[in-house]
Amino acid sequence: MSYDQKLVLSPAPHLKAKDTVSSAMFDVIYALMPVTLVSVVLFRYYAVLLIAVCLVTAVLTELLFRKILNKPVTLHDGSAIVTGLLVALLFGPGTPWWTAALATFIAIGLAKELMGGLGWNRFNPALFGRVAVILIYPLFYNVTAAFASLRPYFGPIDTISQATPLAMLMQGADLLPLSHLFFAYAGGSLSETSALAILVGGIFLIYKKHISWHMPAAIIGAVFIMAMVMGENPLYHILAGGVMIGAFFMATDWVTSPITLKGKVIFGVAIGVLLMLFRVLLAPTEGMAFSILLMNAFVPMIDRVTRRPSFSEPKEKTVPLLKRPGVRKPPVHGVGR
Amino acid sequence: MEVKTFKGGAHVPHYKSYTENKPITRLSLPQEVIIPLLQCLGEPCEPLVKAGDKVKIGQKIGDSKEFFSAPVHASISGIVKAIEKRTVPSGGEDDCIVILADDGPQEFEMKQVRDPENVDLEIYRKCVREGGLVGMGGAALPTHIQTKHDDGVNTLLLNGAECEPFLTCDHRLMLEKTEALVKGAELKMKSIGAQRTLFGVEVNKPDAIKAINELIKDREDMEVVPLAVKYPQGFKSHLIKAATGRDVPRGARSAQLGCIVRNVGTTVAALEAYVYDKPMIERIVTVSGPKVARPGNYLVRIGTPASHILKECGMEEIENHKLVLGGPMTGLAQPHLEVPIVKCTTGVIILPPEMTREWMDYTDCVRCGKCVDHCPMMLYPNQISIWAEKDMYDEAEKGDLMDCIECGICSYICPAARPIVHWVQRAKPEIKKRQRSRK
Repeated sequence: MSYDQKLVLSPAPHLKAKDTVSSAMFDVIYALMPVTLVSVVLFRYYAVLLIAVCLVTAVLTELLFRKILNKPVTLHDGSAIVTGLLVALLFGPGTPWWTAALATFIAIGLAKELMGGLGWNRFNPALFGRVAVILIYPLFYNVTAAFASLRPYFGPIDTISQATPLAMLMQGADLLPLSHLFFAYAGGSLSETSALAILVGGIFLIYKKHISWHMPAAIIGAVFIMAMVMGENPLYHILAGGVMIGAFFMATDWVTSPITLKGKVIFGVAIGVLLMLFRVLLAPTEGMAFSILLMNAFVPMIDRVTRRPSFSEPKEKTVPLLKRPGVRKPPVHGVGR
Repeated sequence: MEVKTFKGGAHVPHYKSYTENKPITRLSLPQEVIIPLLQCLGEPCEPLVKAGDKVKIGQKIGDSKEFFSAPVHASISGIVKAIEKRTVPSGGEDDCIVILADDGPQEFEMKQVRDPENVDLEIYRKCVREGGLVGMGGAALPTHIQTKHDDGVNTLLLNGAECEPFLTCDHRLMLEKTEALVKGAELKMKSIGAQRTLFGVEVNKPDAIKAINELIKDREDMEVVPLAVKYPQGFKSHLIKAATGRDVPRGARSAQLGCIVRNVGTTVAALEAYVYDKPMIERIVTVSGPKVARPGNYLVRIGTPASHILKECGMEEIENHKLVLGGPMTGLAQPHLEVPIVKCTTGVIILPPEMTREWMDYTDCVRCGKCVDHCPMMLYPNQISIWAEKDMYDEAEKGDLMDCIECGICSYICPAARPIVHWVQRAKPEIKKRQRSRK
């Protein structure tokens, strides 16, 4: 008899696809490498410092909150590193490091861990952190002055960083050639340095099937059409500012985007439309961050209205009552009814 | 060639190369067979023999008066050793008749007793019932339930999709017993009053498609439907949807769907039951796994313990491996080797430690949407898993948890390694209980 061999027992299915949350997160990190490298080449130590500060803060914040909330450490899933890197990429090279650190702290601590951890956060953590520091910026005037001596000096920032393309658009200055924006331009935030680098990363994520092409296409398509309608230069609006990073890396965040393809397209179109409204009617910058965060709040609603019926749902149910055989609309007599 | 399929589903690696070219071979007889009294979806049999009785191969040893039941037969000649609780492949322990082989005749005599060209439908139905036939694809529904003439049914749909990884027993059967299959289909078609037969075969079995086409090329009433290679193509509702285009609403009866689905193995077995009076005493089983020395498609007696099969196939040391009876997506992992092959066991799969999906650490759902993209039932496994995990049964029921066919794609694909199907299986009886108490 062979009762004595120890066999593995676990419920079906007994096969498992290779992808895990952490392998997907590391794929996102790889996908962010091109734009990270471009920004480091353009902004040198200013970029390195921001990225280093954000990564360290991200890891420490996650450890701290996991400890306080008495939950197991989940650093190995890589989500803290992704969020830290994304926050860093959202700032310009001239940003004081403590601002970036605070944004990271808010992103990981408030927007992610206190919401219940990865999977339960309603808002994109990186954007939440970024927008939070914009809103509380007035409080920082004194701090900035007091901390000023703590800012490392890596050479004059003006020589390596130029005006942001969107500000130039607003001020009516001469617009940059589109090829500069597409390949590399040292203005704006770290992630806005090269549309091509973002595109390469985005295509890698699509190839790896972590994101579907529909959402970036919906966002970029909506921006294009809206810009045409509003009499703006569509390509300039797509390549300048946060549209590229937003479309490929922020809006497509698993946790904070709709679950079905249909929902993703609705979500993407809404983001593109909102962005153009913000840019043209309100402030020229941060439109992408605000429109994505705004739409994050609508994700449960989008999921509800795009809910698909079960395969076994009888189809007759969807036929309107009046079209059912046997039920006739009563004939209308006279005009007085 | 137009390939048909359904929406959703996933491409699971199919690992069929181990056995797809291995012809069906007869496995040596075991010293002892374990025949569970319940081998179908229905009521268990009452034993017709007692310990110490001498039984002959093919002799009926258990039967029930219930309609939803199928008798069981001695698969070897020998002496009833005991009627006792033994581990059964469906999980847990159940009453089994254990037979020790003796020197009696061990081969079933294949003597033609009836002419398949001149079929008496009443006798055919009786043969199917008395032969103890059940669905051999895994569902194990007693076959005689669906042998009556039904006005609404015009199509017989034969399931040769075999979408589960590793399994090749239906493939080999379609290839090697094509003639019996077509003849069996004809019989079955007459018995249910259908006008046409569709053979649903996934296109990764081109030789089987060719073999069947060769035989039916002059027939108007039979057709091969090539199906896309996609899991779970062989599940009844999805096969119907793919092959006929008809929707399969919950609780739909065959007449409403216009077709009856039958496994190819069962079709051949029904023919043999009619022509040779041969009860269900053996079946083709795929024995496979990356480390198995002699994988293959074996003709195995019902009740053969897995330990005997593994010994014959050169795979005795399986400490820390996983033994699965059935396919690796829906089959059950077994606690030890003394588990018998039953009528619906399609495969004996041994997964080495590096392939087994251990009880992995899972995390919270990250809403990646992969399960939603691939769910063939168009459900929201992400939501259902959260509800079922937290015992929120009312919400789960509203989320159509009961529609789940437990194909396993969501758990297979989940990057957070959530055991979604396991939770669904746990929630189903609880929800059923609530539904009953509401009535």
